[in-house]
Amino acid sequence: MEIERFAIHDGPGIRTMVFLQGCPLRCTWCSNPESQEIRTHLLYLSNHCVGCGRCYQACPNGAISFDGHPVFDRKKCLFCAACAEACPHHAIKMAGKFVAISDILNVVQRDKDYYDNSGGGVTFSGGEAFVQFDGLMELLSGCKKAGIHTAIETCGQVAPDKIKQAFPLVDLFLFDIKHTDKDILKKTTGADLDLVLDNLRFIAANNPEKVIIRVPVIPGFNNDLQEIENIFNLALRLNVKRVDLLPYHVLGKTKYEQLGRNYSFPYDSMLPKEALIPLKEMGEKMGLEVYL
Amino acid sequence: MAQFNVEGAQNVEVSKKLPCEKSLDEQLSIMERYTEAHRSHAGLSKELRETVCLKVLYPTLFRTIGTQDLIAGRIDFLPIGFGSVTSEGGVGHYCIFKKLRVFQAKLDEDGQKRVEALYNYWLQNDTKTLYNKDVLTDDTIGMFIDCEYPMIATARLSGMMLDYPKLLDKGIGGLRAEIQEKLNAQPDNAFYQAGLECLDIFVNCATSLQEDALRQIPNSNPQRCKELEKIYQGLEKIKTDKPETFHEAMQLMWLYALLAGVINYGRLDDFLGAYLVADLESERLTEEEAYRYIHSLWTMIESRRTTVNGRVIVGGKGRKHPKEADAFLHYAMKVAKNTRYVEPQFTLRFDKNTSEEIWDEALDALGAGATYPTLYNDDVNVPAVAYGMRVDEKTAEQYVPFGCTEFVIQGQSTGTPNICINLLKLLTIYMNQGIDPMDGKYKAGPVKIKPLDRYQSFEDFYAGYKSLLDYYLDLAVKAQYYSYELMNRKVGFMFNSLLTDDCITRGKALLDGGVRYLGGTNETYGNINTSDSLVAIKDLVFNQKKYTLPQLHKAVLANFEGYETLRKDCLDCDKYGNDLDTADFMANDLYEFVAKGTRDRGIAIGMQYFLIVISNNQLNTEWGNRTAASPDGRLSGMYMNPANNPQGGANKSGPTAMLNSLARFDAKYHGGSVQNIKFSPAMFNENRAVIKSLFKTYFAKGGCHLMVTVVDKGILEDAVQHPEKYPDLIVRVSGFSAVFVDLSPNIQEELLSRVLYE
Repeated sequence: MEIERFAIHDGPGIRTMVFLQGCPLRCTWCSNPESQEIRTHLLYLSNHCVGCGRCYQACPNGAISFDGHPVFDRKKCLFCAACAEACPHHAIKMAGKFVAISDILNVVQRDKDYYDNSGGGVTFSGGEAFVQFDGLMELLSGCKKAGIHTAIETCGQVAPDKIKQAFPLVDLFLFDIKHTDKDILKKTTGADLDLVLDNLRFIAANNPEKVIIRVPVIPGFNNDLQEIENIFNLALRLNVKRVDLLPYHVLGKTKYEQLGRNYSFPYDSMLPKEALIPLKEMGEKMGLEVYL
Repeated sequence: MAQFNVEGAQNVEVSKKLPCEKSLDEQLSIMERYTEAHRSHAGLSKELRETVCLKVLYPTLFRTIGTQDLIAGRIDFLPIGFGSVTSEGGVGHYCIFKKLRVFQAKLDEDGQKRVEALYNYWLQNDTKTLYNKDVLTDDTIGMFIDCEYPMIATARLSGMMLDYPKLLDKGIGGLRAEIQEKLNAQPDNAFYQAGLECLDIFVNCATSLQEDALRQIPNSNPQRCKELEKIYQGLEKIKTDKPETFHEAMQLMWLYALLAGVINYGRLDDFLGAYLVADLESERLTEEEAYRYIHSLWTMIESRRTTVNGRVIVGGKGRKHPKEADAFLHYAMKVAKNTRYVEPQFTLRFDKNTSEEIWDEALDALGAGATYPTLYNDDVNVPAVAYGMRVDEKTAEQYVPFGCTEFVIQGQSTGTPNICINLLKLLTIYMNQGIDPMDGKYKAGPVKIKPLDRYQSFEDFYAGYKSLLDYYLDLAVKAQYYSYELMNRKVGFMFNSLLTDDCITRGKALLDGGVRYLGGTNETYGNINTSDSLVAIKDLVFNQKKYTLPQLHKAVLANFEGYETLRKDCLDCDKYGNDLDTADFMANDLYEFVAKGTRDRGIAIGMQYFLIVISNNQLNTEWGNRTAASPDGRLSGMYMNPANNPQGGANKSGPTAMLNSLARFDAKYHGGSVQNIKFSPAMFNENRAVIKSLFKTYFAKGGCHLMVTVVDKGILEDAVQHPEKYPDLIVRVSGFSAVFVDLSPNIQEELLSRVLYE
């Protein structure tokens, strides 16, 4: 769980983002790899490390060897955080902590006046926020009780009854549609298009105003006029007025290094915003509101 | 008497002054004549002695009218002379010994001897030196600005905001009639006698400037000739009559401010707006000319180079002519946006009724990188000033910030900050049983301080620190009050007094019982480092019991060398600026202790008010350089937190969290407190609606002030080199935002490579 205050690009106004861990998908370009599983991760920030060796001395499990800098045996690591505490330079961080619902709600409510004046609120994101469903429901109810606008960023790979239960408590769904081809979607992300569309249809049928479709535009995957047009058509069929296009970025790449993992997605540079302008113009001609 | 260096720097001087127009010989001759006038009139009343001396200086010290100036009046200052403040000449009858030495070195042997004689005379007569002799000590109170001491004190009359509305309503002639009438009733009153002489000096100066204008006409182009003729006629008019045009009003205000040695200008929109609008409506002035006039005024204010003053205030509650004032305000906003001057310090007062148009103009100017206007919230400040200064709300509506942020009531109060206190240095001294770890000197006076291992609880420890603070707050109020007593013995500050209530009514100079509200301020430094240090002590020593107080102290004394993990624990403790109750409550508790303690002492000693200000100049850095390491994790010699903002790097939870922390302090206990916030141009300008609601919410939650910086790409480059300085610099990446310094180097590079659209 992580909290980010003054988030202004995931839903309207000034918002607080609550990132919940756990995701059913494994998108190859994922920029939040530490949020895929519900557990603690050890992040090693090599640019902070001065090679003092304190971490190696502090580890009670023999999970760190030392070669001018620490070398982690992540299979042996029990996430006791002894190394992080011993490091004077904040080069080791433990990501993913368990936080009581009430503590989250306390933080969220501190910016209530800012939400009210800016038309903002809280956005639950992930991972996939629906994975920790019980907690999510409590958080949503808590927000509603406090009169706070709620948004959820979802990949749609969610059991339909969960969406139905949450629906009355959610003011806005930021609903990811990554591809309209069932096989490509399955292969690249693990998602089941039928399930995703069922959920989208349910929300749109009940209140299309509650949905913004969001499309991460990924080179080599969906960055072409035809595929984006398919998604726009889907939006039109469901009476969803607004589609956001999010250009591919490589900001998560550093996190892979910090986690000791490889970033296997082959595209190494950001997609400039300008590259999406033709897509935006196409959508607008079709009668949609398209934001970059 | 304490040892002190009379040649020490007396004030912050970042902006360098223009060199004097007079030759060295002339300068020396003026200083000799001034000194002689002072020496030979020791038997006169202080008021008349002052005017005798002023006549030596004026009109002699006026510079020639600048070729771009639309009104007349620029002044030089010499190392010896008369003034109100340290940034324009000096205080009262003054000698700036350091500058006199520099001057001396330029002369031949004979000249150097003559200067030596002056030097020696003023050692016994410079107002500030006399004060220093009486007040400074070897171990507790240092001179401005000696960063070895936990407290510094001076004599000066900063921040006077004169009753310009009265000046404009009456004109010099009207003022003369008022004083003459009083003098008729009290023919021996030296204040009235000297008052009339001041007006004569004013008229002489106007005449002298007229002559300069005439001299320039033959060598000027037709357009400039017209301007010079207008200057000539304007000066003629204001010698006696009250002004009728925008030009005349501005000229009168400006010339008077120069002679008073006053460097803050008050609510210009309200007292000049009606003249501006009348000129525009009668077509005496085109819109373009109006803009040029205000621009010219800006340039002249800038040319005085006071570094931290030059306040021009617009907007807010209690304006007599709000509609006309807003007309001035709109021009001033444009000028502020288009000029890139550090002065004037363009100040917008607003309240919940301020129009969206004004908000948008202000945000436009800020978004353009002007750093102005600086924003003051009347909905908070007016009731706060009413309480803090013990005046009614109508009076409080005339509050004006000067200098770095201190408040005075325009035309009715003094508020000069003659004391600065370093709370953090005192904490390091307290923890070291009275000895400053920086230089090994004992600086705790008679306060008994226990060894650190004897404190049983945090409350016990904190109470001991508070008793050291109490001792220093006692010293502070006495030193402030004495600055008034001493200055009053020597000078009348006549030009200031004539436009300050109730000097004319009472026939007394302002420090002689003339000023309606005798106020003052005490600048506190290191507030947040101190409260964060207290949080760390409370948490690590008394709650977690991870270290003992002596262990923590040993690490601090070692500047954390060999105690890196302990330092990280200190840094990881809750910090102010993150909307955390722990750290914010502590900051507020310390704030209220110091603020109330200061205010109560001011009332007890007989002042209308004595309030702390949490202001912001480079003293937080300079004093930090001479302050030992502290338990908040700050290293020895490191800058201290600016104003009441978090220590650089400590606020990591975004702007709403920081603003929530800032809004925590109840404004009614201070006399001004500076809040800074910084945005990248993209963030600020592409999300204007969000930024506006961010600010408005903060103000609605009790925020009293905001100083907004929108930084350009050069700052980002600097941030690459010095990321520790930019923990909260938010950048728009693509589809999301991030803290710039958290991005990996290649991404920072990518952001830098993008074309900057301005």
